[in-house]
This record gives sequence, structure tokens and C-alpha cells, in this order.
Amino acid sequence: MSTWESLLLGLSFALQPQILIYCVLGVLLGSFVGVLPGIGAMAAISLLLPLTFYMSPEAALIMLAGVYYGAQYGGAVASILLRLPGTPQSAVTTLDGYPLTQQGRAGLALFTAMISSFTGAMIGIVVLVVLAGWLSALATRFGAADYAMMMIFGLVAASTIGATRPVKGFAMIALGVLLGCIGTDVNSGAQRFTFGQAELLDGLNLVALAMGLFGVAEVIANIRNPERQKTAARISMRSLLPTRDDLRRIPLPILRGGALGSFFGALPGTGSTLSAFLAYATERRLSRQPERFGKGAIEGVAGPEAGNNAASITAFTPTLTLGIPGDPIMALMLGALIIHGIQPGPMMLEARPEMFWGLVASFAIGNLLLILLNLPLIGIWIAMLRIPFNYLYPAIIVFLCLGVYSVRGLTFDIVLVAGIGLAGYLMTLAKLSPALLLLGFVLGPLIETNLRRALLVARGDPMVFLERPISAGFVFAIVVLLLFPLWRLWRRKA
Amino acid sequence: MKQSTTLRLVLASALCSLALPASAQDDWPSQPLRVFVGFPAGSSPDVLARVVTEKLSERLGQPVVIENRPGAGGVIGIQQMLVSAGDGHTFGTTINGPMTTSQRMMDDTGFDVAEDIAPVTLLATSPLVLAVASDSGIEDLEGFIAAAGAEPDALSYGSVGQGSGAHLTAELFAAEAGLSMLHIPFTSYAEVTTSIIGGEIDAGFMAPSAALSFVEAGTMNVLGITSSEPFGQAPDVPLIAGSAGLPEDFRAELWNAFIAPADTDEAIIARLNTEITDILEDPGVQEQMLGMGWQVAPGTPESMAERIAVDTEMWGAVIDRVEAQ
Repeated sequence: MSTWESLLLGLSFALQPQILIYCVLGVLLGSFVGVLPGIGAMAAISLLLPLTFYMSPEAALIMLAGVYYGAQYGGAVASILLRLPGTPQSAVTTLDGYPLTQQGRAGLALFTAMISSFTGAMIGIVVLVVLAGWLSALATRFGAADYAMMMIFGLVAASTIGATRPVKGFAMIALGVLLGCIGTDVNSGAQRFTFGQAELLDGLNLVALAMGLFGVAEVIANIRNPERQKTAARISMRSLLPTRDDLRRIPLPILRGGALGSFFGALPGTGSTLSAFLAYATERRLSRQPERFGKGAIEGVAGPEAGNNAASITAFTPTLTLGIPGDPIMALMLGALIIHGIQPGPMMLEARPEMFWGLVASFAIGNLLLILLNLPLIGIWIAMLRIPFNYLYPAIIVFLCLGVYSVRGLTFDIVLVAGIGLAGYLMTLAKLSPALLLLGFVLGPLIETNLRRALLVARGDPMVFLERPISAGFVFAIVVLLLFPLWRLWRRKA
Repeated sequence: MKQSTTLRLVLASALCSLALPASAQDDWPSQPLRVFVGFPAGSSPDVLARVVTEKLSERLGQPVVIENRPGAGGVIGIQQMLVSAGDGHTFGTTINGPMTTSQRMMDDTGFDVAEDIAPVTLLATSPLVLAVASDSGIEDLEGFIAAAGAEPDALSYGSVGQGSGAHLTAELFAAEAGLSMLHIPFTSYAEVTTSIIGGEIDAGFMAPSAALSFVEAGTMNVLGITSSEPFGQAPDVPLIAGSAGLPEDFRAELWNAFIAPADTDEAIIARLNTEITDILEDPGVQEQMLGMGWQVAPGTPESMAERIAVDTEMWGAVIDRVEAQ
């Protein structure tokens, strides 16, 4: 069967009314929970799981997938308007999205985020259809050494994002890596910095960390600063329309972000986070005026949003072609198939082509629905900013606690978010970047685990990092990245 | 933490003894049941619990609500069950880890298996299969033992973490076969599978259902299974017990069980045991579980207590050996 025939099969499957309705339901719910701070796709999919017992497996998968990528659209809304990212990748969107809101250009930022998300997802779909086989081979070809070097490359490339001075950026990454050490060490099984608390055995709750550092900190800062409370009133609907200058700035970042996201998304684990940070770092490095970034540069919204939405599509490759889930949410979706007696695995694509191609077709349909739904909603989201702050902020705090609680159902995490929020406020005062802390927190433990695993597998031989071609490529890229500023400095002096 | 848990427990049970007369079990269940599961929704233990509790709810005429409290290999789920205990309507399901080995692996689990938990019944057991990549050229258990025995740590194997079932099973196997293998811990079976297929590590003990799909695709060979009898889902896979010089009584199984807080009324436990063992006799339920890689294993609370004791000792000896290395 040619790709075209397969796609047509998928489209005719996904457009059946009894399937289409679940796709609509999924993306609606996804974009709704995405907007609520902290309540992410994971919580929504867990709630929907019992319902899927009574649906066909294909419909179940299409609905749950809709929640997954739909949440990416919603996530941008809270990040841009209120500086409330629920995930590290939407933390990147706050960097320039929130300053745009403060300048009264929230409409533009949201419009750009939606268009970038849509285009990014479409790029992801094309890549998935054309390169599915190649991408799934990529997942098994990446070993521990390759992951370790790729993530170190990501850290180095993104190390100065959002930081006023490089040394502050490095300090935040280091702090993030340290916080990431909390919990059970994968390699030795040792319990680090858990103080006998079982709640800490799996590490700090990522959502609590993100909500505390951004959301709670921002609420405190706004209460302390009456000037900041006024920004909301100055927004007009006209600010939604991009100027000619904006239009010129958006397309290339979207394409670059989409390409980066498509590649990294296919790697299980951190694809989505890495692609958002790398897309941002790329735009800043390529820009003629890098100083605009962090102060409301529209490219800083377009690139990462295209990146993480492309990644959310190609992330399905290892899941669908090998039956190997790339992250916990994907594992949950496969769980929904197992309930129906379908064993996910490398034969799934051959055994049930209508499921794979139906899902791919539903990605396109779902994203089309999402953009049609979200563009008119922008006006309503902006109107939300006119809610007086003495109503808005308590509501934010309530939703945020609900979101944090929804992850594991532990009150411990709510106390944690309050404590982290205070620390986050102090960081705001010191102009320290919480986005970099999150990046260090997510990548640090993965770098450690993979570095040590690579050395274990190689029986202690460090040359493994240079012998494997993928790893060696990243080592080379890291060296170039580190030497580049020195070279520029030297040339300027000469 | 332990103190405050105990305090809350005491307060909760005091409140409930005020609210409920002693003869409450006559009209039990008088309210919805809560069943704590220490794993996320959609995970294998969660799906298993849902299959059972759906039928249980029909039989008891009360809703049964699954409460997912994932974390610390299932320990958090049991802790949370104990915190909410005392109303006669709070229960849990657990895998073997927190009942047998977690006390050894963790500084403080916050509960004592014998004192705080009342067994209701085993639900199901699952063996593991020893899997290698098909391009390794290893076709059977003899071949594997020959390759692994060439020198210490000649072969590496992946597990889902220090002290996990996959780790301890591999160490038990290595000890019985007189081998020393290099342990590479991962965090999920997904990673272990990728690593075996990618040729980074040599082997791993995996769930039969997960491994068999790769055998079908021609990328993995399955060399043996750890159950004491042929397993319904993988009848063609040879038993490790009794082959390639391994002892006849070799058995390493994961299990899943229904538990109650220790202060639960005995009449309630007896009623639950009857209902659940009945549910497990249903051929439809058996087939559904087998599809997910679980063989039903209904029994009495006493036989479950015995299984806990036997397994705690067996895995304890394996942990001793690992720690001595």
C-alpha cells in the first residue's frame, strides 16, 4: 500500500462520525485542561481512561491523543497571559510571551502561538508520514552515551536563555541539576536528600516546581507591585493583529522550530522540552538583535511553540511503530489499548493499519479543529485579564493547587508549591531565570543516569563517547558551542 | 512523617468508631469502597485492579472508586491507604514489591507488613521471560549460560531499577546458574526493550506479553520463563526450572494482591475474599487477565500471608547476596 492510499484509508477511517466525535471531544478537553494551570494532559487522560473501556480501541486512542496535543495549545495561553507554565516547554513560551502581555500585546502573542502551534504540528505530521520508518530506527539507535551527550549539548546551547548575565544562567542550571538529585538514584538505588520522606523518593514534583517558580512567584510579585496590576486594562482587540514587521519575523522561526521539534520529538523522553529550549536558543543566536529576547520578541514565542507541537506529533513514532512509549502519558495511552487486549508492539502497524493511519489523519483533523476553535477564543482569553486582580489571583492560586494535587493526589505537593513559590519570588527579585532552573532540573538527572549507564555498559571506558558516531557528533557540537564565543572575542580584539 | 501518619490514623479510627456501631458489618458495605493503587492510571497493576473492582462493584451494590497514588514502587499507595483507613471501606491492591522487598530497599516505608496490613487474597501472578536480541545469535538457555559464563560480567542485563522484580529475578537466576552478569538499571521496560533491540545491553527479564510481540517481529529471542508451570499466554516458551542445569524448583513470579488495613473487621475480609475469588473464577475475567499477561491466582488470606513470608525470605536472600558483592 502506498503512503497516499494509506493516508486515504486513515482519512476515511477518522472521518467516520463515531470516530470524529471522539477526536472533537479529545481536542476540546485537551485545550481546556491545557489552559488550566498545572492540570495537564496526564490528569485529564487518567480521568478519561475508565470511559475508554466502553469505546472501540481506535476511538479511545484518537480521543486520548487529542487531549495530548490539544493540551499543548492551551498551555501557551496560561503561559503568555499569566506566566503560568505547567511544563518546562511552556516555560520557554513565558520568556517572551509574558513581556508581550505586559506591553499590551497579548493578542499578538496568542495569535502567534496558535499559528505556530498549528504549523508546527503540520510539519510534524508530514515528517511522521514521510519518515516514520527512519524515525523509529532512530529511537533504537540512540544509546546511553548518545543521550548523555545530546542532553549536555542541549544544556550548553540553552545555558544563557533568559538570563541577564551568563554567570546567573549557569548558577540557575546548577541549582536545577542539584534539585534534580533529590530522590532515588537510578544506578545505585541510594536515596538522596529524601530525609526519610517517601513523597520525595521519586524526586520533587515537576509541576509543583514549575507552578511555584513561575505562578506563585508572579502572583506575589504583582501583589507587591501595584504598577504591574494595571497592565491588563490597556489591551485592545486591535493589538491582536500582527504588524507588517511581526509578519516578517514569524515564518522562519516557525519552520526552524518545526524542524527541530520533529527531530527531537521522535526520541523518547525529553524531546519536547529539548526542542522548545533549542528552538528558542536558535532564534536568539540567529537574530541580528539578540538583546530583544526576553523583552517581548515575537520569534521567541513562534519558534518554541512550533517546536513543542511538532514534537508532540513525532513523539508518537516510537509509541506506534515499536510499542515503546516515549513518556508516561504515552504509556497511559498504550494502557488503554492493553485493556482492549491489544498488545502494543512492533507488529501493531502491520496488524492494524487503520489504527495507525486513522490516528495520523486524526492529528490533521484535530489540529485544524484546534486552530478554528482557538483563534476566536483569543478575545475571551484576553478579556480574562480585565478581571480585577483581587478576584483573579486567588482563583489562580486555587487552580494551581488543584493542578499540583491532580498529579499524585498528595497534600505534600501543595505545601511544596507554597515553599517553592516563596523561593521563586526571591529569585524574581534577584533577576534569576526560573526557566533555566527547570531545564537543569529536567535534564540534570537524565544526563547523570545516561552518563553513568554509558560508562557501565562500556565497562568504564570513557572513549565510548567518541567511538559512537552520534555521541561524537554531539561532543563536536558542544566543543564548537563553547569555543565560538571565545573565537568571537579574540577576533574583536585583533 | 511516621508520627503524623500514626496520629492521623488514631484520630481517624477514633472518629469512625464513634460514628459506626460495632455491628456495622451486617449492612456492609454502607458506602462506596475506595481502593488505593500505588501505580498510575493505565499501568498494568491499575488495569488489573479495574478489571476486578468493576465486577466487585456489581456484586456489592456499591461503587468502587480507584484511587491512584503512584510513587516509590507502590509504597505511597499503601501509605495513603493506611492514612485513610478505619472506616471499613478503604482497601488497596499492591504488587509483591512493597509486601516483600521494599522494607529492605528503603530507609523507612512507614508501615510494617505484618502489623499494618491484612491480606485478602492474591489476585494474579505473572512470570518473566529471559529475552535477548535475535541478532545476538543466542537461541536457547544453554547457549546463554555458555556465553554469560565465558568470563565474569561477559553479558549485561537491564532491569527497571535496583531491587525491582526484574533485577532480583536476574540475580536469582545468575546465582542458581553460577553466573555473574553486569546489571544495568533503567527506569522503565520501554527503555530496557529499546536497549536490548539496539544492542546496547545483552539481555533482560521482561513481561511475556511485551517480549512476545518482538519475538513475532523477529527482533528478539525468548529463552525461558520463570514460572513453575507452562504459562497460558506463552505455552511454547520452555521453563527455566529444570533446564540447562537449573534446579527443578526454580520459580520467580511477580504477583498482585488485594489488601486491607490491619484493623479491618474479619467478617468484611472474609466477605471480600469470597466475592473476589468468585470473580477470579469467571472465565471471561481469566481470559482478560491472561491477555494482559496475568494468570489468576485466587486463594485464602492465610495462603497469601504464607506467600508473603516465603517470598520475603527468598528475595531477602537474593538481596543479601547482591549487597555482599
